[in-house]
Order: sequence, then C-alpha cells, then structure tokens
Amino acid sequence: MSEAILEVRNYSGAFRSATGDLTPILEDVSYRLKTGAMTAVVGETGSGKSLTALSVLGLQPATFVRTSGEILFKGRNLVTLEEREIRAVRGAQISMVFQDARAAMNPVFTVGSQLADVYRLHHGSSKREAMAKAIDALRRVYIPEPERRARQYPHEFSGGMAQRAMIALAALICQPQLLILDEPTTGLDVTIQAEIMELIVDLTKNSGLTTCLITHDLGVVAETCDEVVVMNSGRVLETASAEAIFTAPQNPYTRKLLAASQLVQSEAEAA
Amino acid sequence: MASRDQTEAADVFPTEAVQIFESSEQAQPVAPLSTAGKPARRKRAPLSWSMRIGLGILGFYLTVAILSLFWTPYDPFSPGVGSAYSPPSSEFLLGTDRIGADIFSRLLAGARYDLGICLISVFISLTVGSTLGVIAGYWGGAIDIVIMRVVEAFQAFPGLLFAMLMVQAVGPGIPNVIMVLSFVGIPDYLRLARADVRSKRDWQYAEAARMVGNRSWRVAFRHLLPNSLGPLLAFTSINAAFVALITASLGFLGLGLDPNTPEWGNMIARGQEGVMTGEWWMSFFPGLAILGMTGTFYLLGDAVSDLTDPRRRQ
Amino acid sequence: MTTVDYPILQARDLRKIFPVSGGRKLVAVDGVSFDLVPGKTLALVGESGSGKSTVARCLVRLVEPTSGKVWLDGMSIIELDPVALSKTYRRVQMVFQDPNASLNPRMTVREVVHEPLWLHLRMPKDQREARARRLMELVGLTYAHLDRYPHELSGGQRQRVGIARAIAVEPDIVILDEPTASLDVSVRGQILELLLDLQKKLNLAYLFISHDLQVVQHVAHRVAVMYLGGIVEVGPTAAVFGHPEHPYTRALLSAAPVAKWGAKRQRLRLAGEISSPIDPPDACRLVGRCPLEQPSCAKARPPLTEIGDEHSVACPVVTAGDRAVPSAA
Repeated sequence: MSEAILEVRNYSGAFRSATGDLTPILEDVSYRLKTGAMTAVVGETGSGKSLTALSVLGLQPATFVRTSGEILFKGRNLVTLEEREIRAVRGAQISMVFQDARAAMNPVFTVGSQLADVYRLHHGSSKREAMAKAIDALRRVYIPEPERRARQYPHEFSGGMAQRAMIALAALICQPQLLILDEPTTGLDVTIQAEIMELIVDLTKNSGLTTCLITHDLGVVAETCDEVVVMNSGRVLETASAEAIFTAPQNPYTRKLLAASQLVQSEAEAA
Repeated sequence: MASRDQTEAADVFPTEAVQIFESSEQAQPVAPLSTAGKPARRKRAPLSWSMRIGLGILGFYLTVAILSLFWTPYDPFSPGVGSAYSPPSSEFLLGTDRIGADIFSRLLAGARYDLGICLISVFISLTVGSTLGVIAGYWGGAIDIVIMRVVEAFQAFPGLLFAMLMVQAVGPGIPNVIMVLSFVGIPDYLRLARADVRSKRDWQYAEAARMVGNRSWRVAFRHLLPNSLGPLLAFTSINAAFVALITASLGFLGLGLDPNTPEWGNMIARGQEGVMTGEWWMSFFPGLAILGMTGTFYLLGDAVSDLTDPRRRQ
Repeated sequence: MTTVDYPILQARDLRKIFPVSGGRKLVAVDGVSFDLVPGKTLALVGESGSGKSTVARCLVRLVEPTSGKVWLDGMSIIELDPVALSKTYRRVQMVFQDPNASLNPRMTVREVVHEPLWLHLRMPKDQREARARRLMELVGLTYAHLDRYPHELSGGQRQRVGIARAIAVEPDIVILDEPTASLDVSVRGQILELLLDLQKKLNLAYLFISHDLQVVQHVAHRVAVMYLGGIVEVGPTAAVFGHPEHPYTRALLSAAPVAKWGAKRQRLRLAGEISSPIDPPDACRLVGRCPLEQPSCAKARPPLTEIGDEHSVACPVVTAGDRAVPSAA
C-alpha cells in the first residue's frame, strides 16, 4: 500500500452566523490522498468538497469553525499550525489552482512578473533568473510565444491560456509535492478543457506530483483520475479506485450521480 | 392557424394524467446537515444599535415637530414675551433672544422648518432624480447625453453657493426654498440610478421582463428601478444631512425665509453677537439641534436600504 | 429539404455585426438560417464565441439583427414596431441560462407567473391564479412555492419557475438558452425530462442552445453546430453524433469526456486558438487550425452543402470526399 501524502481525518466543521449559531457543514470527513496518484473529490454544489480543500491550506472562510478532526500532511497536523508555519507550507509544499484563473491574478502586473515574483519568493534568485524561469514555465505548459506572453497582462490571456499560466505558477514555479485543483476547467470550452486536463495528467506523471482534483464532472474523472472520493452534504459517502467507482459503485448516491452524468434513468429514479 | 382564445386553463392545458416530478432537492439519499436555504421562518434580522438610536432620535424630532403645531410654551413668532437677553430660567427654559422671544418655543417650532424642509426636499430629489436617472440609463442615446450635460452644468456649482444663487433668483418663501434644495440633491440620485440601471439593463431578468410582455418603460420602472433602490436609499441619509446644513445655512444668511421664522439657522444668526458678549444660549441650543439632526441622518446610514431588501427577511 | 412538418419559424441569413473601436466590425452571427418545427427540437451547439446565444436573441429581437429575415408562422417579425413585437412574445418565449439572474429578486413566484398572463392575455385575477397553480403542477413544484422569493428556492426550483413563466402563455416556440448549464448534474436530468414532457404535451417547438453535447444528444431531433458565427454542420442528431463530418464537429465530439470507465477516445485536434471574430476574412473560419486544410480553404467561405439525408456540412474538403485525417501522434 502506497503512502498517503495527505490524510483528512474525521474533519468536522460548521459555519458561525452573525448571531453566534453554529450550522454544521462538514461531518466526519475522512479521506487519503495516495502519493503520486491523481485523486478526484467529487460532489455537487454544497457537498463541502471545496471547503475541505480550502481548510487544508488554511484558506477557509472566517465564518467557518472546525469542530473536530485533523488534516495530516506527511504526518504533520496542518490545522494546529500557526499562520507563519502554514505560510511556509503554502506554495512550497502544497499548492492550489482555482476555477477562475484571470480573477486569481493581479490585473496590474504582467503575467511574467507575477510568476517571477513567486519564484523569487520561494527560491530567492536574481530578477533575471526568475524571469527566465517564468518564461520557461510558460513554455512547459505549451503557451506559444512565451517571451511575448510573459510581458502581457492577465486580461490579454484567454480563459484557457490563463488557466495554463496558473498551472505553471502552481505546479512549476512553486514545485510543491501536492497540487490541489478546484474545478480548474469549469467554465472553459470543452476543447480547451480536454487540453488542460491532458496538461495536468502530464505534469502529474512527469513531476512525481500528487494531485487532488475537485470537480463535479465525472467524465473528466473517468478519463484522468486513479482514485475517487464521493461527497454529499458535507459527508464522504464512498472512496474507491476510479475503476471500482465506475464499474461497481456501492453507494446509492454514487450510482445516482453516475446515472445522471450519463443521462440515463437510474434504478433509484425508476423505482 | 387558429388563434388561441382565452379559455379556462384546464381546458387548454392537456388534461391527461400529470406526472408530478419530485425534485431531487426533496429526495436526497443523505439527510442534509443544515437547514440553511430552506424556506422557513420570515423573521427580520435584528436592527443594529446605531440604527435603533438613529431611528429613536429621528422619531423624537418628528414628534417634536408635529407637537409644536399644537402647543408651545409661548408663541414662537411674537417678540417681547419676556425681557430680551434673559438667560435660561424656570420661566423661559432656554432663555430669550435679543428681541425677547422665547428660545425654547422657537426651538420646538423650528423643528417643523428644518426637518420638514429637509425631508420634503430629499423626497423630491429622490423621486425626480431617480426617475431621470432611470430614463437616462435605460434608454441612453440622445436623451442620456442631454440629461447628463444638464446635470453636469448644475453640478459645476458648490451646493451652498448654488442654493444661494437660486434662492436669490426665484425669491423667498418656503416652497421656493424646498424647490431649490431639491435641485441640489437631484444630480447625485440621478447618477446613482443611471449607473445601476445601465449595469443591469442587459441582465437576464430585464430580458425576461421584456419577453413576458413588459413595454420598455415598465421594464425600466417596474423591474429595474426597485432593484436599484439600495444605493439610492443609502444615499438619502447623506443627502438629508447635507440638505439640513444648507437649510440652516440659508437661514443663517437670511436668505429665502422670512426673518422672523423660528428656523434654527436663522436663530443662530439672530443670537450670534451674544456668543462674544456672554449670552451663549441664544445660538447654542439651535446649533445643538442642527448637530443632532445631522448626526442622526448619518447614523441611519445603511438602515434604510437594508430594511427594503427582501433578502433581509431571513 | 422535405417539409413534412410545416415550420412555425423560419430564420434566413441572420447576421449580427457589432461595431468595434477603430471602425472595425465584430461579426457575431454570419448568415445563419434554420427552421423550427412544432413538437421538435433544434439544438444550436457551439463553444464560447460561436454566436449561438446571439442568434437566440436576434430571433426575438432582444438584440436587433443587422440583417436577415425571420418569419413566425408566415409573418415577418423583423420590421415590427415595438407594440406588435411585444405581442409576438406571446408565441415565442425564452428560458434563460442563469436562474439567479433571470428572476427579479423582488418578485414572488406568484408575481413572476402572473405577470405574463396579465400582460399578454389580460386574464382576470382568479383565472390567473388557477393557471398559476396548474403551472406549478406541470413543472413539478407545489402551490406553496408561489409565495416564495427566488432566493428562497434552490437552483433547480428556480429554473422550474423560469420554465413555468415561459409556458404560461402557451407559446408555440420556446427558446432555451443553456437551461441546465447552471444546475447540478443530478437536477439536470429531471429538468430535461420535464422539458421533453412539456414539449409533448403542448406541442412546443424548441430551439435548444447548449455547449453540452450530452444534453443535446438527449433532447434534440436536429443539431446545428456553430463556429465563429456560422453553422458548420447541421443534420439529424443521430447523423451528426453518429458520423460527424465537419472537422470542428469531430474535434468537439472527441473532446467531450465520457463518464464511463475505459472509454478511449481518438481525439481530433485543432491547432492553435479560435481566431478573432473581428473583421474576419472571406475564408473558412477554421483556417490555420484544421488538419484537413487545403489552399482553397482560404479563398472563400464554404457554404453549407448537403451530403446526406437532411445532413449538411460547410466544408469543401469533406464534401469532395476526402475525410481522412492525418492520424494523431
């Protein structure tokens, strides 16, 4: 059995309202991310999949309160870390790519300078060297004319290209061991989506990265992922290898989700 | 093709067995953890302290203004009810001014003028300004250009200066003062409404409103404007505070209102030499009244816009 | 084209051009023609920039087309004045993509559904209420939902309200602009079943706009694939999905992920990125990206040519018979 680089263990939490009431939102979430594998965390809106991922890096909203559980990264509990310590983890060890790439970048700086800045932050080098690394990263994610593109601003990038730049930033500049992607292709055209996913799979295999893909699109999961975690309403319903999930799903919700993804009447609905 | 007449819904809509589709939101295999989002209680979220204090004080001013119509210790308009320059006493609670009129009575009566003029002007500014703004924002084109140029011309003058000039031009009298003060406020409401309508004009519910049969003016006023009320109402408090100060300033300068009017600004003017010679009460209390009213408007701030948002009903 | 079914709406050569700074022109829709038949669904499929949403809006003049003709039941609607146009909305309705943005947040469901009944049909109040209740039944909501505000409903429920609003006046045609794009996967299937059911009950003609091929395959009788403002392939759903001809259709179909284990796809790739819709040259829009490209492709814009039973393609290379794509490395 391969090692699990990240383990979420009995993680539960709630939202605190303005009046102080706690509304439970995550209940006893547990799953493991196998080192070197690509794991999908699947669920619909409100399932808690994004919230759990944000909690890994301490990026959960301020109104979220952890009630119990822990998140272990290489054996180290992340939820008890100080801000200073978790900052050392972000980027260098665990990195994250979000849905809307252009919104994630600063509009007043060029894409190249943003990548170079982060490189210097993590590896400390000269400006010139950092920019060279930035351009190289853009090239490695198959952005054509990377030198010219590095001098452009985020709004000049198309959606797909901006997402590539974000992946370059998160995976190549930061060089983490775990890469979390939160709905990275939602909102992109299907042809672009296919290319982005190929890029992600490519990087995972070649860089020894462990990848966690958060998505609601089972088609993408079927094509790219090794392991699957199914979540609903703040709970984990099923975890298995991708093959098992697609060929022999155990949980009725998983089956319903699969059927809906294939637009077929499931046994549950026909009953 | 036969035209469809208006007949009973049951006749025209097919009457064979209707499949009721269960929405999956109600048939979840796993019980949802939270009740957030379920249509349930309709209680209002509690008001914050600043809102409560603001509303309380405003209510107090309003009460005073209305009551003063029925009773004041002395006639606010007549001089010589007491000897001039007498300090606050049991007989004249806040003292008398330089012509012997009772300051307390004038203060109470003054609420009618300051508050009344202020509220009416704000109301007129709000309605006229937002209407023009919606027209400019929704229809655009030539109408928009003309309206905006006129507005910019008006806004070229600082508020008080503009009010002063206009009052001189149109002559004294309360209706004139109200009209002038309304003009001062219109440009800002207009811009706010215009900006909001412009941004929402192409939203899907505006498109849907047209599909559903609304003519343009209905789309603009029945659908878009009510959803733009938030910033407009939030602005009323700032506008009210500003208008209150201009009202008092005009009164202080002796413009627009009859010199005997017990308006607070006017009262300050009448008592101003007393500040140096020791009769502090003549200007102090009206000044305090103005301060209180202006401050209250600021306190109310977001209260008004929040109260009209249906989403607040949690 | 055989006309067994009389088309209730005919669009011919629709064009929409937006002027852009510098005197340039953005061609959003470039000569699109199609028919809508009662009881049948035509799907407009394309990615962003294809112009499919603009076509929908041009049809009902929410956006004014630059040129082209639209006939509703034989009557031209392009030149109608606003009052007459408003009346045609009784027969052509629209369901919008985002149920959050398409419902007025200050109106209850009851008000939303009553409004078209009053404005279009002048129904008295009791009849409106009766119809509103019937609509709730038809779309799978309860009478209690009539009192709710949009923010108190889930996404799927809001979309049902949007559908109820659209069918309230018993239109002949419903234009559906990505009706399930904002919805969760498990709700999507039910909304589609609802739409199919309503189509049968009310003999509605649907224009179904979508980027989701799976959804389209499930609901459409005919499919038109759009790219950069033009239709590149159109035909019966089975034909277009079963043996797609146009390189773009094949690229699109091969890129769509399938939620099945072990489903291998042979991807047909298009090189580069989508070209600009501004001041396009008179050439095939796929020039520079197409694996089948010939020098003649850059000379003129290829017209739609029939290659099978009601199946047309806008590609001279394919029409000439050379379908072989250089195999992917």
